[in-house]
Amino acid sequence: MTRLNILLALAALGSAMYLVGVQYESRRLFTELEKAQREARRLGTELERLQVDKRSQATPARVERVAQEKLQMRQVTPGITTYLGLGEAGPAKP
Amino acid sequence: MSRSIQYTASPLLTSRTPVWRSKFVVGAIALGFVGLGARAAYIQVVHNEFFQRQGEVRYSRTLELPANRGRILDRNGLILASSVPATSIFAIPEVANLDAAEEAQLAKLLGMPQADLAKRLAADDKGFVWLKRQMDPEAAKKIAALQLKGIDQRTEYRRIYPEGEAAAHVVGFTNVEDKGQEGIELLFNSTLLGRAGSRQVIKDRLGRAVEEVGESVAPVAGRDLQLSIDTKVQFFAYQKLRDAVLSNRAQAGSIVVLDANTGEVLALANYPSYNPEKRVNLSGAQLRNRALTDTFEPGSVMKPFTIGLALETGRVKTSTVIDTSPGSVTITGATIRDSHPHGALTVEQVIQLSSNVGTTKIAMQMPASEMWETFSGAGFGQKPQVEFPGAVSGRLRPAKTWRPIEQATASYGYGLSASLFQMVRSYTAFSHDGQVIRATLLKNSEPAVGVPVFSADTAAKVRKMLQMAAGPGGTGPKAQTAGYSVGGKSGTAYKQVGKGYGNDSNRKYRSFFVGMAPIDRPRIIVGVMLDEPGAGKHFGGEVAAPVFSEAVQQTLRVMGVQPDIAIQPQIVAHAVQESF
Repeated sequence: MTRLNILLALAALGSAMYLVGVQYESRRLFTELEKAQREARRLGTELERLQVDKRSQATPARVERVAQEKLQMRQVTPGITTYLGLGEAGPAKP
Repeated sequence: MSRSIQYTASPLLTSRTPVWRSKFVVGAIALGFVGLGARAAYIQVVHNEFFQRQGEVRYSRTLELPANRGRILDRNGLILASSVPATSIFAIPEVANLDAAEEAQLAKLLGMPQADLAKRLAADDKGFVWLKRQMDPEAAKKIAALQLKGIDQRTEYRRIYPEGEAAAHVVGFTNVEDKGQEGIELLFNSTLLGRAGSRQVIKDRLGRAVEEVGESVAPVAGRDLQLSIDTKVQFFAYQKLRDAVLSNRAQAGSIVVLDANTGEVLALANYPSYNPEKRVNLSGAQLRNRALTDTFEPGSVMKPFTIGLALETGRVKTSTVIDTSPGSVTITGATIRDSHPHGALTVEQVIQLSSNVGTTKIAMQMPASEMWETFSGAGFGQKPQVEFPGAVSGRLRPAKTWRPIEQATASYGYGLSASLFQMVRSYTAFSHDGQVIRATLLKNSEPAVGVPVFSADTAAKVRKMLQMAAGPGGTGPKAQTAGYSVGGKSGTAYKQVGKGYGNDSNRKYRSFFVGMAPIDRPRIIVGVMLDEPGAGKHFGGEVAAPVFSEAVQQTLRVMGVQPDIAIQPQIVAHAVQESF
């Protein structure tokens, strides 16, 4: 009887220790997950910011200025455009 | 059994204690334990909220999960408005005790005079004061590095508008609290707005979240909104309009480009405009979305509707001759004049030369109620089809109240009013086989089904007249553009000065042009309006038509529409033909 009691006490102790360990591990993993999620959010907003940046570098206003000033390009007119059509020629289909 | 317990063998210490005493002590202690047990059960099982709450206050934190405001995109998915994180700096004046050097450093990083900063920090009665909102995260990091007591920061979202002033009136803007204030931002605020979520976590000694407790509410991001606007068309329209307003020394101007098949607004711009990101010292003139909020008498732009109705009801044919000599007509004592006497004109020529007398003579054959029905069917005096903050309905009085002279003036566009947007939309009656279609600011590639006002045949006939009006010998030949056939009507309205239209010395004008291209199968309708052109020219055909011409040219090119009239090629081949 005593031996069984000691065995059960040891088992309870072991289980308790294991619980503490698991609890610790789960908290550690949670913290890590949290960190990763925060990083994901940060990268998400960074992506957003860079997309907006890219967009503001490519607005028609800027493109036109650069094309005219730096590259000495000019506005396209139908006079300097060759239109190629598939099939019969004629006004483009809507 | 003796009546007492013997605790010692020594007779000296022998004291006779009665047994009931020890039993009493045991009982008392047992009672004590029962009491403790009951209390523990009460606290932990029955009445556990108080301590649970106290515990949570000490280790659990509610984190707010911010929801992004939706983006506003153009029809090709390009960003017109988007939110990026920005840092706001605040101070707790009671806690902040900065010395002069620290204050100077902080003021420099905040970009504000030191005196201003000192004043804000001196507001001791306030527990909280914003120092600067929505600043660049990089500069904010430097401030955080100073580690000043009582100065703290918090992340917010700032709205970025890459198109700047070109699209300002359509897109609008939000305030620092992320609430829409103007334009689409205001109109679709609830759609764009996300719902912030929250969750409860337990934090450890180091401030790391270690466990989630309770229920978490996921944030709902705001929906992205795709507009019908094409940024390229919008930009060109704005640019050409701005150039025209400046070169004509006009007060202001508006331009609207509408897709003739779907009713989508491809561009809507006004000048003067503003940069939605830097909104300091904004004036009402800059904020005003004139294309939708300013109404004026449409003048000659109305004539095609009068003529269209007469054609539709078979009262005239395109070749019917109307005698407009001697260049004036008198209706119940009031005289209507043409700017030049024209003599006998066909119905087509009445539109081409924009004869008030000719239009009046045709209009007077028709009952006022039919004219009213046609006009209001085309959207005049009606609630604007497009929901936009401040969009107005203009004025068209009921036909019953029209006196003959009013019917006459209404036939050529006086005595009623409309916004430029309404005029452009009304012209879908000619471009879309006689149907007036619904205009929309949201992307929608389905061809619209509209309300029939004219038959397809009448619409085609009026289109031909509009082409003549915009051609050689018409009132707006400057509307012509290389490669594409155009048709449209110019208008010049006197602005009201005091009670009348002013006299020759102080007259003010509004010049406009509404037209479409390519004329056989219109793809776009463009309306241009310039307010008070002051550089000598004031006729719509001279001031507004050139803007129309350039806008049509660029828009059709961007849309990839092939030219429908022959052009002289200017391509000179120098190089040897490349082989593919």
